[in-house]
Amino acid sequence: MIVSSDSRHSDPLLEMESVSVNFPVKRPHPFGRRRWIQAVTDVTLQVSEGETYGIVGESGCGKSTLANAMIGMVRPTEGTVRFRGDDLFSLKPKAFKDARHDMQMIFQDPFSSLNPRFTVYDIIKEPLYIRGGASEAAMTEKVLELLRLVGLDEEDLHRYPSDFSGGQRQRIGIARAIVLNPRFLVCDEPVSGLDVSVHAQILNLLMEIQKSRNLTYVFISHNLAVVKNICQDMLVMYLGKTMEIGVSNAIFANPLHPYTKALLSAVLDIDVRESHDRILLKGDTPSPIDPPRGCRFWQRCPFAMIGCETIPAELVEVERDHQVACHLVSGFSSEQRAAGLDRLVSPPSGG
Amino acid sequence: MTDPMLEVRNLKVAFPCAGGVIRAVEGIDLITKKAECVALVGESGCGKSVTALSIMKLLRTPPSVSRIDKLQLDGRDLARLTDREMERVRGRDMAMIFQDAMTALNPVMTVGKQIDEVYRRHTRLSRKDARQQTVSALELVGVPEASSRANSYPHELSGGMRQRVLIALAFACMPKLIIADEPTTSLDVTIQAQVLDVLKSMQQDHDVSALLITHDLSVVVNMADTVYVMYSGKIVETAAVQGLFLEPRHPYTQGLLASVPRLSDDKQAFVQIPDTVPHPMRKPSGCYFHPRCSRSSIPCPQRMPRLEPLENGRQVRCWHPLHQEREM
Repeated sequence: MIVSSDSRHSDPLLEMESVSVNFPVKRPHPFGRRRWIQAVTDVTLQVSEGETYGIVGESGCGKSTLANAMIGMVRPTEGTVRFRGDDLFSLKPKAFKDARHDMQMIFQDPFSSLNPRFTVYDIIKEPLYIRGGASEAAMTEKVLELLRLVGLDEEDLHRYPSDFSGGQRQRIGIARAIVLNPRFLVCDEPVSGLDVSVHAQILNLLMEIQKSRNLTYVFISHNLAVVKNICQDMLVMYLGKTMEIGVSNAIFANPLHPYTKALLSAVLDIDVRESHDRILLKGDTPSPIDPPRGCRFWQRCPFAMIGCETIPAELVEVERDHQVACHLVSGFSSEQRAAGLDRLVSPPSGG
Repeated sequence: MTDPMLEVRNLKVAFPCAGGVIRAVEGIDLITKKAECVALVGESGCGKSVTALSIMKLLRTPPSVSRIDKLQLDGRDLARLTDREMERVRGRDMAMIFQDAMTALNPVMTVGKQIDEVYRRHTRLSRKDARQQTVSALELVGVPEASSRANSYPHELSGGMRQRVLIALAFACMPKLIIADEPTTSLDVTIQAQVLDVLKSMQQDHDVSALLITHDLSVVVNMADTVYVMYSGKIVETAAVQGLFLEPRHPYTQGLLASVPRLSDDKQAFVQIPDTVPHPMRKPSGCYFHPRCSRSSIPCPQRMPRLEPLENGRQVRCWHPLHQEREM
């Protein structure tokens, strides 16, 4: 599953440039201050054709909003999303629709993402029906083909989602997502709602489909072990911002951001023989309404310095295809050091 | 130390329903020693939560029908207690930490009041003293600014904080046994690490026995001393945590362990167990795991194996248990 180096640097299939997504918060009263949830702030990334791109972060960090912006379900407040080189949000309605046929999504919860009153046939057929131009017989044939591909029986065709287990429902969700032969698939935590023994089945199925249909995946997860196994590039997000981005091998070999390190050490490994030191973060993720001015992670960072509170950390390239946004890595300027901004602060307890 | 804190013998729970009978738990023996953390591991629908609720005697009849040969907590027979007597045991001698803090807490009562209630009910503390105890209980589980947080409603707290409140609630009277049903599944990884840390130190510092119910093997490694693996209502393997993880004997345990992606893995396909857990109303004949098992042979579809004792107090329910050498 390793993409050769030349394909990595070919034209990206999907490109996001300084994308920010803000949502307005309801004002407490008509003259109240307008406030925004800064769900995604200034994210730039490129997804190459045929690769699997991992997005990692905790709940509320904006990874699902980012995914929605990628496939045009949410209009970014700032920045551009380019799919095959075209700016997704300046396309004409017809062209936008065509582009959307090529980008599909697999949802996290296989219970709420399937209409309980539709049969399997209706669910998988729906996208074909909406696109139009196919006869009933052709649609049936296509649905049957996909049903077999995802490992379900023909007899299942006229059953309802409630007859299936979580893993089987996720298979139905996968069949629905690929029925229009998309090029680009966003998998938003596709296995976290499933049983452990089924995780591997679904992940393997996704990998097989990727190989046979040459699909490009964006894989959203909070499980770093899965991301390490299947992704070539990755992005670590915290509170809407990029903390670390690059080739996943480089990041796993040499994680530099304290948040990445904490995430890695929080993945409880099932190896009983080696116990490793864990970095325990204090407090909770702060609210994305009025996030911290400086580095968004500073309140929970075990290595926070005085300057981290006020000066945002910019992404710097530490090695080829590996960027980190952290003052520990980029350092402060000599004036800032003279002002004592590089002194460590002990982070406050609690959120 | 030899006397078990909790002893469960031959617990059976069934739910009669329209299409037949769902046998959720089919004869389970469970022993928890003093200050020991025992994990009950299994996938959804294997009967682990029903087991926990039965031990707390929180299952209603109907809909459930249950039978138990022995239910003892610290030498006291709980099976014969009336509901009224059970109310005095729950919260004081054993307590439960539920999975979803948002539904387990009362949304229209401040969290402080909910913990006060435990003290008011089980001790003779005055209102004021109870609140003092509540605040120190919250401090113990790492809730910052505990005295003001005690006046918050559950929705004002984050998921991690709510789970801490549940832990404080369960440990309020320092019970002999804590039953934790999936205590961290709804939390983020970094918060999960915090909450597990709190739970473990509370359990160890106060010598409380714990029954941890989870599907997450990584939680088991970090918390438990002894593990029971459950599949379709039956215990299939039990062993000390080290032994189980290093040398699983039951093919199901081995499959579960192998299917967990590890950070140390190289890029490769994930090891998978074929098929899914059987529907509780349509369990296969013989060994329940045989349709998914690679070692299945003649006796497997016909007869259910017994839970056979092995060395070091291990037990396994399999016709063809894996041997000493690891066959990974």
